[in-house]
Amino acid sequence: MKARWSLSSRLALLFAACTAVVSLFAGVLFSRGSEAHFIELDQQLLEGKLTGLRRALRDLDAEQTQRRLEDELSRQADLALRVKGDDGVRWYDSSIRIPARLPETPGLSTLNDGDVDYRVLNAPLFPDRPDSPQLTLLLDITHHQHFLQRMQRLIWLTVGLSALATALLGAWAARRALRPLRRMGAIAGSVSARSLTARLPQEQMPAELAELAHSINAMLARLDDAFQRLSAFSADIAHELRTPLSNLLTHTQVTLTRERSPEDYREALHSNLEELQWMAQLVNDMLYLAKADHGLLAPNREALQLAAEVDMLLEFFAPLAEDANVHMSRSGDGRIEGDRNMLRRALSNLLDNAVRFTPDGGEVRVRIVDAARGVNISVENSGDGISAELLPRLFDRFYRADPARQEGSSEHAGLGLAITRSIIRAHDGQIHCESADGWTRFLIELPKRD
Amino acid sequence: MKLLIVEDQTKTGQYLRQGLSEAGFNADLVADGITGQQLALSGDYALLILDVMLPGRDGWQILQAVRDAGLETPVLFLTARDAVQDRVHGLELGADDYLVKPFAFSELLARVRSLLRRGSSMQQETSLQLADLRLDLIRRRVERSGRRIDLTAKEFALLEMLLRRQGEVLPKSLIASQVWDMNFDSDTNVIEVAIRRLRIKIDDDFPSKLIHTVRGMGYVLEERSL
Repeated sequence: MKARWSLSSRLALLFAACTAVVSLFAGVLFSRGSEAHFIELDQQLLEGKLTGLRRALRDLDAEQTQRRLEDELSRQADLALRVKGDDGVRWYDSSIRIPARLPETPGLSTLNDGDVDYRVLNAPLFPDRPDSPQLTLLLDITHHQHFLQRMQRLIWLTVGLSALATALLGAWAARRALRPLRRMGAIAGSVSARSLTARLPQEQMPAELAELAHSINAMLARLDDAFQRLSAFSADIAHELRTPLSNLLTHTQVTLTRERSPEDYREALHSNLEELQWMAQLVNDMLYLAKADHGLLAPNREALQLAAEVDMLLEFFAPLAEDANVHMSRSGDGRIEGDRNMLRRALSNLLDNAVRFTPDGGEVRVRIVDAARGVNISVENSGDGISAELLPRLFDRFYRADPARQEGSSEHAGLGLAITRSIIRAHDGQIHCESADGWTRFLIELPKRD
Repeated sequence: MKLLIVEDQTKTGQYLRQGLSEAGFNADLVADGITGQQLALSGDYALLILDVMLPGRDGWQILQAVRDAGLETPVLFLTARDAVQDRVHGLELGADDYLVKPFAFSELLARVRSLLRRGSSMQQETSLQLADLRLDLIRRRVERSGRRIDLTAKEFALLEMLLRRQGEVLPKSLIASQVWDMNFDSDTNVIEVAIRRLRIKIDDDFPSKLIHTVRGMGYVLEERSL
């Protein structure tokens, strides 16, 4: 439930709650302070009156006392007096409105009687005599209490209004502050397969969002790259198939336009067969790569002695190498758990490439290094090398480093290195290529299984 | 020698039957799994060629029924799917070989011949011969018209294969697999080069050529009239 609340509402509510708590606290403090102040004032006033009244009552002349007492009390209309004997019998009430029951505690207290509030001061008439009559002074403080009540209402109103105001202001501020987030949302919303080029304006983002924007931009870049490759791949497939298909169509139609000798028909069929085989190979290779992409290349794990495997491959390539006058050699050995046929295929693609791109009298070397964590295999050949900017594209599908072999109908569709990489990756390994000082070197790192 | 093809794709089935008939095999073709299974269980066939996906009963079920009936008939599977599990499944059930579409017919023919040969007992030959070419298996020597020819070990193995299967068109993939034990798709032209080098030694100095290229299909060793 909570998750559905918008950020702005949450922030606004939080602000409002904070304001309410703070203003409530201030209000309570202020209200307590004023009340204490009133009590202090009342106490001073009552104690002042008490002194006057005591003096008045000390005269024992009853009539005079009465007059002086009334005189004393008449100066303060909201003041009333009750005098009791030390046995609790009421002797005198200055007003009939005095409530029957009053607090007995000595000193100052507060009493509420219906609509009227009193501050009550109990004190003995003669502080130094234990059997002294008791004086009770009552001060009508109803107007004070009214003031305090009004104050309290005002405080509650302030709390409510300020909370509301901060909630509104907070919501506005939060919406403003979250505007970059909405902008991110809008940009992200505009991203589709057709436009993966949109990027978030990282520099304009507040610090808190810059990191997120950076991650999202990086993600978009990766998607864009993968998507570009995929689109290029589809386009390449169509292109690669188009050439042999158009050859087939043209050749078949031309052959059928008139009667021909059986030899011509045979020749036509043979030629078609070559195109078809090339296409079948292309489709098989692409299916192999598609399987690799979907993680369906599941290598068998058998113990392989790499020196023996490489020697077999070198023997296989021996006719090709002798023909091209290329010397092939192998050094080192290593053990690995892997799929024999897949690894042979991967290495055979590398060796085939190496022999093809090695000049007459050149050399192809395979080196195996058995390390603790894995086996490194390098396949290197002497020759012109590959320029650095082409190296990263080498493993791309349909990429041919040799421009002479650009068009279809050559024997090599340019999927060999992509397949090799897929196989190495299926073995959790890595492959990369470097080219320097007249040597081109493919480096394979195959991890050992624990 | 009768073969049974169970293949529901009409065109594929007909071409297979035609190709096998012309290669000298008597092949029956059925298009559904139920009839296919009935015929397969009759025991009249020397080899079954089964598509995996069939109406009625699929290839696996037919194979299962055949093996349950105690028949040892070799079975070659054709499939459009090249999932590893499929291959493992097929071999576990007792399939003898496995071809993934699209395949070359020459490949199928070569495998059919291999499977049919597997059953027959191989007599221990000491030498192989075609016309004036003679291969001594014991002394590992090759002669043509009485002239000794030096071959490398692999060239000897290649020639031995061609001689053993003389008259058969051998696809490059089969040669790579049998001679070099390279069992993977490869677009390398190693086999072409190897054949060319063998030809130089075997055929170049002689008027009648024995090694022939069948374009788009493979190589064949046979005596052809000039």
